[in-house]
Amino acid sequence: MAEAEKFSVVGHRVTRVEGYEKVTGEARYVGDLQLPGMLIGRILRSPYPHARILNIDTSKAEKLRGVKAVVTAEDTVKRPWGAFFADQYPLSVGKVRYVGEEVAAVAALDPDVAEEALNLIEVEYEELPAVFDAEEAMQEGAPLVHEGKARNIAMTIDVERGSVERAFAESDVIVEDTFESIPQWHCAIETIGSVADYAPNGKYTIHMNTQTLFSARMRVAAALGVRETDVRIIQAAVGGGFGGKSCDDNNPIVAAILARKARKPVKVINSREEEFLAGSRPRVNMKTWIRMGFKKDGQIRAKHLRIIADNGAYSGKAPAITGVAALRHDTCYKYSDVKTQAYLVYTNKIPTGAFRGFGNPSAEWAVEQAIDEAAHELGIDPLEIARVNAAEPGYVSPHGNRVTSCELKQCIDMAEKMMDWKQKRAAKKPKTGLGLACTVHVSGKRHFGDYDGSSATIKINEDGKALILSGEGEVGQGAATALCQIAAEELGIPMEDVEFSQADTDLTTFCLGAFGSRLTYVAGNAVKDAAAKAKQQILEMASEMLEASPDDLMVEGGKVYVKGAEAKAVTVADVARARLFRRSGAPIVASGSFDADSVLPDETRYGNESGAYNFACQAAEVEVDTETGQVKVLKYVAASDCGTVINPIGAEGQVEGSVAQGLGYALIEGLRMEEGRPINPNFSDYRLPSMRDMPALAHAFAKSYEPTGPFGAKGLGELGMDPTAAVISNAIFDAVGVRVRTLPITPEKVLKALTEKGKS
Amino acid sequence: MKKHVVLNVNGEEHDIEIEPNRLLLHALRDDIGLTGTKEGCSIGVCGACSVTVDGRLVSSCLTLAIACQGKEITTIEGLAKDGRLHPLQQAFLEYGGFQCGICTPGQIMAAKALLDGNPNPSEEEVKEWMSGNLCRCTGYYKILESVMAVVQNKVRTEDLLPRERIEARIQSLDVYKPEARTHGSKSHG
Repeated sequence: MAEAEKFSVVGHRVTRVEGYEKVTGEARYVGDLQLPGMLIGRILRSPYPHARILNIDTSKAEKLRGVKAVVTAEDTVKRPWGAFFADQYPLSVGKVRYVGEEVAAVAALDPDVAEEALNLIEVEYEELPAVFDAEEAMQEGAPLVHEGKARNIAMTIDVERGSVERAFAESDVIVEDTFESIPQWHCAIETIGSVADYAPNGKYTIHMNTQTLFSARMRVAAALGVRETDVRIIQAAVGGGFGGKSCDDNNPIVAAILARKARKPVKVINSREEEFLAGSRPRVNMKTWIRMGFKKDGQIRAKHLRIIADNGAYSGKAPAITGVAALRHDTCYKYSDVKTQAYLVYTNKIPTGAFRGFGNPSAEWAVEQAIDEAAHELGIDPLEIARVNAAEPGYVSPHGNRVTSCELKQCIDMAEKMMDWKQKRAAKKPKTGLGLACTVHVSGKRHFGDYDGSSATIKINEDGKALILSGEGEVGQGAATALCQIAAEELGIPMEDVEFSQADTDLTTFCLGAFGSRLTYVAGNAVKDAAAKAKQQILEMASEMLEASPDDLMVEGGKVYVKGAEAKAVTVADVARARLFRRSGAPIVASGSFDADSVLPDETRYGNESGAYNFACQAAEVEVDTETGQVKVLKYVAASDCGTVINPIGAEGQVEGSVAQGLGYALIEGLRMEEGRPINPNFSDYRLPSMRDMPALAHAFAKSYEPTGPFGAKGLGELGMDPTAAVISNAIFDAVGVRVRTLPITPEKVLKALTEKGKS
Repeated sequence: MKKHVVLNVNGEEHDIEIEPNRLLLHALRDDIGLTGTKEGCSIGVCGACSVTVDGRLVSSCLTLAIACQGKEITTIEGLAKDGRLHPLQQAFLEYGGFQCGICTPGQIMAAKALLDGNPNPSEEEVKEWMSGNLCRCTGYYKILESVMAVVQNKVRTEDLLPRERIEARIQSLDVYKPEARTHGSKSHG
């Protein structure tokens, strides 16, 4: 920990490396790109939740002046694709399974012609019975979304560790309840879009706003029926991801199919309505039945979960998300006997997918409320029940997750202090209450094959500046800045002398991309390794120049010194030039890699999903208006353990943004659906939190050092979103004694619960 | 029927041929090539397309380009003056008032319109005014901090960074060096 104080770049408040472009409006997002001869693509979508396609007639659309290509499934290899289950086509083959599904597409000279052409495509449908509720879909005789998937079940999890039957028998108090979460949309202010180009040699180049370039390449290539290297993905500036841009949708594939047919570059940008229908895949909604047993002192003895997760029409990442909801929380507290049954169920609705938290917020919505119920029943302060059960360093979860660094208890202490918890509880005001919840998250996750790693190349240019070549990308969260700090720290050169490359699958090595709070920890370790190797080359060359042993040299501020004789120095630029411009010269360039010390979970889901675990405790003080049901958040506090904070500006921003999304999830967001048709797919009716909605917020980072992290760091990006909805609900219960069990907690629901409570 | 229209954007006149129903947003982005103004919701709710017309803040996705003839249009590209950032741009950079950056041009234009009319708004006035600009990344805390930094004259004219980023990054690191490693609790609101 003493080491941490010595950092010259890590831990400092550093402005964004791409900040200038962003505050001047010069950053280039995919919608800003123009290529010569570029056409505009538009997609024809299914108006039905479930229907057979009898015929598609594109002849009229093709004849429209300005139309350059019209495509249907006949222009594809009809090969299904998907992150875990290959169950969707780029353009519908024979059937549509949700309102918004891609049926055909056109590329035209301008958007108006493209829209007109869509109206000229004649599709003959035969409507089929549809199913919109996951529990109904599981009944025998329900309409099947996919042939051969009995009772529409896409995946089942059934895991028991220890014996819950015995553990419940040993419990002093048992709570049992059912909670329902909702799909939540990412609502990045930039929608998903692509500019695809096709070269005569058969190569597709796609400029995209994806979070995960190499996964996108893999999936696009599979859907197009070509090899991975026949597709080149170049990341444009990304206008917000949050999981929604991790390439589970068809946008880039349709753009590529159009570009090949038109032999011109084609831009396809989702409208806001399309983004709701078939763009970013919303959070998986879950209905969770929970039963938990506790000892008198609050110690958790048993937990039994039964989760029904609504997949929507296609799977995307929902299988992994359901797995997280089923098991992850068991790493937050000390559990011994747990049982989880989870069902992922197809319905004729918008496919769900990855959203910040990845199953954790939906599960914690249930688990953290059940624990709160137990605290009230036992007459224990909810803060103390968290403290009694909190995970500690060395804890191994029932499913094998091995906790290295863990400052959850410190987080609980900090939340208590920031909230003045004890004082406020002692002087409780009517209609005002306190609530809290804790969470655990990963720093990268071993689930895409047996690999949880990253690689990076660093080259030192002739002017002494370092360039990090990485395919991980920057999606707005600040990864590029943090990775540049890590490289600068390791190399001993100033921050402004480190640049981060644009991510490009042709120019960088394989990287998994931005998800699972993995970049600071996993990519950070790879960048640090590359930097250490590049530094070794600098030292070896400098040792010739300075006639000193490499061990006697140090690099600081972009100069190489002889220790103890600081006047004897050369610049890193001198070293780079000297190594290059000579007989048998070579550039300073090094590749680094890292694969986390995690264990791929086996078929019983036993393993160790991540190399490091991050923890947080959040608390809220709310006031409930019992006349209107309105909930006002008076104060919110968030204490996070993310190991060493690499860039405080970025870390604070991650927590603040997470809390905002969490409050939206808890209180206001929601898409209304009727028979699979969204009623409010726009920003005037799907309300997002605005500046005036944000409560007073205090946050703090635990003193923490992750031994396997780069300079002690671990992940943070999702942590702040996980517990928020449960925190708010627990605070409402403390304030007025009612609990709303379905999200979002609207004034109508609070009022209804108060009325019912009054009756009983 | 396309019409010849002259638009004065950031002090420069642009001759364009557009349909009468062309939106200002698309005229700026596609006809003039100023892509700093962004399209977020297309219905005037999110504020990503905010520009000023004769000093008044408008959603360019709801404004006809043809109606802006003879008026002074200002976009994000017109803010930096004499090779230096506008104080709001500088503040957003220093205080982390953005993450992905897609709403940032609109946020900065909205803040500029507010401060041009009222250089000393209260925090509550800033919150109310800025609530017309959605951001999904920051939770707004650092946007508020950035705007208030300008209101409170924390951004000094002599510190305004040059537009060239290489020089600027050297300076910006200097700005921050002494503050390292204090992760104390921070209150907002």
